[in-house]
Amino acid sequence: MADTVPPGRYSGKRDIRTDAVNYAIELGAIEKTFAGHQVLKKVSLRVKQGEVCSIIGPSGAGKSTLLRCVNLLEQPDGGNMVVAGQYLAAGRSHPRRELLQLRRNVGMVFQSFNLFPHLTVLENIVLPQRRVLKLSAEEARERGAELLKRVGLAEKADAYPAKISGGQQQRVAIARALALEPKVMLFDEPTSALDPELAQEVLAVMKEVAASGMTMLVVTHEMGFARTIGDHLVVMEDGAIIEQGVPEEVMTNPSEERTRKFLSAVNR
Amino acid sequence: MEGMWAIILAIPYTLLVTAGAFLVGFLLAIPLALARRSKVAPVRGVAGLLIDLARGIPPIVWLLFIFFGLPLLKIKMNALEAGILGLGVVSAGYLAEIFRGGLLAVPRGQFEACQALGLGGWTSFVEVISPQALRAMLPGLATYFIGLIKDSSIASVIGVTEMVYTATTYARNSADGIYTFFAAAAVYIVLSVPFGLMARGMEARMQVSSR
Ligand SMILES: Nc1ncnc2c1ncn2[C@@H]1O[C@H](COP(=O)(O)OP(=O)(O)OP(=O)(O)O)[C@@H](O)[C@H]1O
Ligand SMILES: [Mg+2]
Repeated sequence: MADTVPPGRYSGKRDIRTDAVNYAIELGAIEKTFAGHQVLKKVSLRVKQGEVCSIIGPSGAGKSTLLRCVNLLEQPDGGNMVVAGQYLAAGRSHPRRELLQLRRNVGMVFQSFNLFPHLTVLENIVLPQRRVLKLSAEEARERGAELLKRVGLAEKADAYPAKISGGQQQRVAIARALALEPKVMLFDEPTSALDPELAQEVLAVMKEVAASGMTMLVVTHEMGFARTIGDHLVVMEDGAIIEQGVPEEVMTNPSEERTRKFLSAVNR
Repeated sequence: MEGMWAIILAIPYTLLVTAGAFLVGFLLAIPLALARRSKVAPVRGVAGLLIDLARGIPPIVWLLFIFFGLPLLKIKMNALEAGILGLGVVSAGYLAEIFRGGLLAVPRGQFEACQALGLGGWTSFVEVISPQALRAMLPGLATYFIGLIKDSSIASVIGVTEMVYTATTYARNSADGIYTFFAAAAVYIVLSVPFGLMARGMEARMQVSSR
């Protein structure tokens, strides 16, 4: 795999790649250092259009940091990337317009849901549609109601986030991200804060989103999800990808001793 | 009795100074609190210095500076305006710190959700962050407002005819002038207690809802 993504192949906003495969995300030698501690060590990764890529690995491996680099919640110190056809190089500040374009293409779901607590469920989904997509209130509400139906929460439209379960909040958060019609969705341990039954209802929604053809990059501890829904599995440790491949193969027959250790620790 | 009546007539001035200073302070505190969070270190430094000046200089000195100092710069002001401005400057310092606390009470995840959704800085601040920060700040704001009702009496030194100024005038001119001070004290209590109850109620409600 090429170490960095050659910028020449892209011009402006349009992806003019000539390869047969279309990648929704290409990370080239991404580096990130926090206060002298290198958290990402030249991480390169490609995620195909419509693919579900799961990232697993021990705590502190840099999984969240890598995910947050993709939508520039975290600024990489080195490397470059192409996300949904947009070329972004590290080591320079990105103009507002570039950031907004990136974030329109990339949705994110957080471990802690991060719904806006002072707005109702429906208002949470309406606000970004109005401000980002500039839709009318009516249209935004209509689409919001449809999305709530899609995640099975039509009847909770007027509830405040604090009044619904964690699983329901996370499904609303997914609906809120989907409302902006992203090309890529990032999930950072979306079920880690949830009881197992509640986690299942969130995973069911994610499965449906995956089936709809969404490109998904998912940091998770849910081995079942990574195995059955995931197309690609990435194992990270200590700021680097130590192994990747078809989930079933990596899980049943890892080529790295460290992967084996991690898997047996998780499956215990 | 005449003294009592005068105190009652002075109540609007006490309220005007209090509300005016609070409003001026509120408006000045917003940019100060935001500057305090700036990514640019010198901006943070200057904001911190201004806040320290506003709070570090005694309010009475601020009032004297403004009432007697500004005319030297050919800026004309009557006592009421100077009182509102002076106490407003002091309030800006304290309110900026209350705002800062309120913004700190908003979880990081809220800012990140705004960024991830691509909401602009202004939209995020007005529609997402401020409502949550304001909620967290309400008890502090109410407490400061109560303090300001009482501190508005400092404006008496530059001749604003609020309650304490009025009481002092009467005390000087009559034998039982002390009673007008009792009356003034009673009015301060009556004005403060509702705000105190409101603040306590809000605090109790917030503790319940954050559980
Ligand atoms: N903002 C930050 N400032 C300083 N250090 C950070 C910051 N964010 C992450 N780190 C450090 O970077 C390392 C990787 O963190 P990261 O959150 O990416 O790990 P992770 O693989 O997501 O772990 P977990 O499974 O616990 O979520 C950790 O050592 C963490 O302490
Ligand atoms: Mg993490």
